[in-house]
Amino acid sequence: MGRISALLDGGVGKSCLTAQFVQNVWVESYDPTIEDSYTKVINVDGRTCMLEILDTAGTEQFTAMREIYMRTGHGFLLVYSITSLSTFQELTELRSQILRIKETQNVPIVIVGNKSDLQEDRAVTHNRAIQLSQSWGRVPFYETSARNRLNVDEVFMDLCRQIMRKEIVEGTKVTKASSSTMDGQGGGRKKKKFCTIL
Amino acid sequence: MAASMLAPSRASTSSTTSSSFVPPSRQNTITSNSDGATTRSIRASKRFSVSALYLSMSHDKDIEIEDDLARVQKILRDLKSKISSQSKKNFVLEKDVRYLDSRIALLIQNRMALEEQNEVASHLDDATEVQEGAFPNDQKTQQYGNLFFLLQSEPRHIAALCRLVSMSEIDALLQTVMFTIYGNQYESREEHLLLTMFQSVLSAQFDNTPEYSSLLRANTPVSRMMTTYTRRGPGQSYLKTVLSEQINSLIEHKELNLEINPLKVYESMIKQVEEDVGELPADMPRGISAEEAAANPTVKEIIAPRVQILMNIAESFLETIISHLSETPYGIRWICKQIRSLTKRKYPDAKDQVICTLIGGFFFLRFVNPAIVTPRSYMLVDGTPSENPRRTLTLIAKMLQNLANKPSYAKEPYMAELAPFVNKNKARMNQFLNDLCEVSDFYESLEMDNYVALSKKDLELSITLNEVYATHGLLEKHCASLVKIGQDVSRLNMLLQELGPAPPQVPRKDNRTLTLPLFSRWETAIDDLTAALDITQEDVYFMEAKSVFVQLLRTLPAQSPAVRRPLDLRRVGDTAAKMKDLAMFRKGMRGIELLNQLRDLGIVSESDGYEILRDEVEQELHHLGNLKEKVIEEIGKLEEVFKTIRDHNSYLVGQLDTYKSYLHNVRSMAEGKGRKQQKQNVLGPYKFTHQQLEKEGVIQKSNVPENRRANIFFNITSPMAGTFVISLHYKGRSRGLLELDLKLDDLLEMQQNNQDELDLEYVQFNVPKVLALLNKRFARKKW
Repeated sequence: MGRISALLDGGVGKSCLTAQFVQNVWVESYDPTIEDSYTKVINVDGRTCMLEILDTAGTEQFTAMREIYMRTGHGFLLVYSITSLSTFQELTELRSQILRIKETQNVPIVIVGNKSDLQEDRAVTHNRAIQLSQSWGRVPFYETSARNRLNVDEVFMDLCRQIMRKEIVEGTKVTKASSSTMDGQGGGRKKKKFCTIL
Repeated sequence: MAASMLAPSRASTSSTTSSSFVPPSRQNTITSNSDGATTRSIRASKRFSVSALYLSMSHDKDIEIEDDLARVQKILRDLKSKISSQSKKNFVLEKDVRYLDSRIALLIQNRMALEEQNEVASHLDDATEVQEGAFPNDQKTQQYGNLFFLLQSEPRHIAALCRLVSMSEIDALLQTVMFTIYGNQYESREEHLLLTMFQSVLSAQFDNTPEYSSLLRANTPVSRMMTTYTRRGPGQSYLKTVLSEQINSLIEHKELNLEINPLKVYESMIKQVEEDVGELPADMPRGISAEEAAANPTVKEIIAPRVQILMNIAESFLETIISHLSETPYGIRWICKQIRSLTKRKYPDAKDQVICTLIGGFFFLRFVNPAIVTPRSYMLVDGTPSENPRRTLTLIAKMLQNLANKPSYAKEPYMAELAPFVNKNKARMNQFLNDLCEVSDFYESLEMDNYVALSKKDLELSITLNEVYATHGLLEKHCASLVKIGQDVSRLNMLLQELGPAPPQVPRKDNRTLTLPLFSRWETAIDDLTAALDITQEDVYFMEAKSVFVQLLRTLPAQSPAVRRPLDLRRVGDTAAKMKDLAMFRKGMRGIELLNQLRDLGIVSESDGYEILRDEVEQELHHLGNLKEKVIEEIGKLEEVFKTIRDHNSYLVGQLDTYKSYLHNVRSMAEGKGRKQQKQNVLGPYKFTHQQLEKEGVIQKSNVPENRRANIFFNITSPMAGTFVISLHYKGRSRGLLELDLKLDDLLEMQQNNQDELDLEYVQFNVPKVLALLNKRFARKKW
């Protein structure tokens, strides 16, 4: 199992994105998130994978909760709205906070520019986001539209794939060194992926 | 300033007496006697004029009224100014701690480069107080005094600036704005100016948001402003009064699991079975779907009672919040009111539900619920709640938010179980959100306060050099944009030009606190209030008379025949005029003189015993009587707040000290290599009894039987900086029962990971408290 967190600003559409992915519904209501969690079983490249998705509060007053999400999440969707530059600018700080807490440079992350259906209100160009992705070492970047269900599955799949790849790489490392297997979770059991949407 | 104590509008900004914003109904009594046409504009705000005029008469310090009211009011004022300055200090400390929090983890891993270590060290250096100082020359003092007077009295400049600055600039700006320029949190003029600034920022935000579903959602300088505002004294004190008791009692029940997400319930169920039995029975498969979990009979059985309990808890939270309506800080209610009226204006067909949703989006989403979900960051509880209470609190906050917004159970189907709570309380919640908006405006009193401020000659600001320079820098940078968004900045520009380019920030050790006298570059101080306010001489006489008699009645001994009811104002005046006390004599004479003048003007009449004036004097006295009780009540509450803020301050200082000693170790070790080891001096052992540590909270759990505790003691030694040996002893036995080596690094790391428990087999220590203790006892001088 894997845990994914969707993180970021209020009103960028994290919840809509998640609801589309998990339940195939378009939620249109003013309903700010405090903390919602979902589970979904998906098939990635022939492997079944149970995803736990944590949809987090974008409202900044709840930032004190972020640390816990970052600690427990295995992968992160960093969502901004293409109609708001400030939401895009916040990504950098979020990422460095994740790396700090994870104490590694290698954390599964996907950059998501949501609301791609609102082209006329675009405030963040495609190029700018690509530049950011490159400066972070080619972190995958997608533009999505939760409303039109565009690229929704793709971002979650991509993140899930990253988490799995990381597990395999690190799993072998541990056996090779046969050193402290502090995590203790047996290799055979299907592990849950936690994904946090920031 | 004796007379200012009489001013009701001055005393009413505070959180607890917000109800006194409802204007006392004693206006218009003179209207019938004077020319309505010329004085109409002031009629409407007569109630405020009275208070302002009292204030303006305060130059007349003939009688310092020293009765009980005056004494408690003085205590209250001192307390308020202490709270204001302490909150500012905490705000600054918090910034430092936040910075260090984020760096210390790296340091622990020894991954911090030397330059960065030095950078961190520089943040620690000025944990000490900023020194007092002054500008190098008088001209600068005057120019900055002009600039800050303009900024303070015309909030639109800062309002515009708040919208222009970037998220990285906003924190520093807000610090200066909320804790310095309008830092006096309990002074009505500064509070009202700050709220005016809010209004202009809010209304710009409404203008620039295309649809209301995205209103007030994003994190912008505006939302940061709201957060910072709710963190000032009145907001803190409200949260403490309303929430802390319930939250604390929830947190005590660490074992109370109220999870109602079927999948989570199912998972912990199979985990339990696995632990108990060793393997899973065939009918309990792993990895089932949410729907399957929800349909599981055992899961259902577990969830049903939990739903009930949750609804009861949420209802009691709601109950408490609603019952504290009148104690909700005025400023916060006023912001709710602005949200309501802006919504109505911008979207005339917005339904009541939409409006309530937006109010709830501020009041619950940005003020109450964050405190419920993370109570520690709001100083409501000491420790981080453990897993179960944390989840319960999150669920409660979600329920309250659902109540304020239209809940869509599409997101999490299991939340639909809680629908009865929403259905039952929806109407109540909407009513409450509307009630929140029922507060009066302050524009008239603000206008008055501003005039009074002009007439006062001692307006000043306590501000640091770096705050001055930073604000100057921001203005310089954004001045051109201010023009673009339609601001008239001619005066601002003129002041900026006179000042020249903004100086850079000075090193932290050279930063100084200045007392900046504020005055306008353009207006001269107003000596003649009557002219400024467009009121007649009669009004002034009448109000002065009222003030004089109120003061006399408060000063005359209670047994004096003059204070007998019904009041005879002339007798009051005569009695005072016969007293030996020169001040009383003069006040008495003045009272009689005013009575005669008012009679000659035909405003009062001797035949009815000066009824109009007498009634107002009585009302004022009555109001002041109530005021005293309110003041005493408010003192009690604010002392609570002040204590919280002070405790938080010691926590922050302690935290900084810990980092300081840790950093010292790291650096001295790095330096020590190759060089001769410094002479190690062993500190301790220091002895602590079980009882003592229990009382200080260091021991958070003890397995030692009550009757043996008196025999247990601990020795703590520090063989070298950063290392500690704790040993546990039983009286009479020569050898310790247990010995534990501790490294400061490990303790810090535990704290960093929110691990609060340090297990010593017989007792459990609380990590932050141990750190505080070690710090206090083993502080090694000279870092």
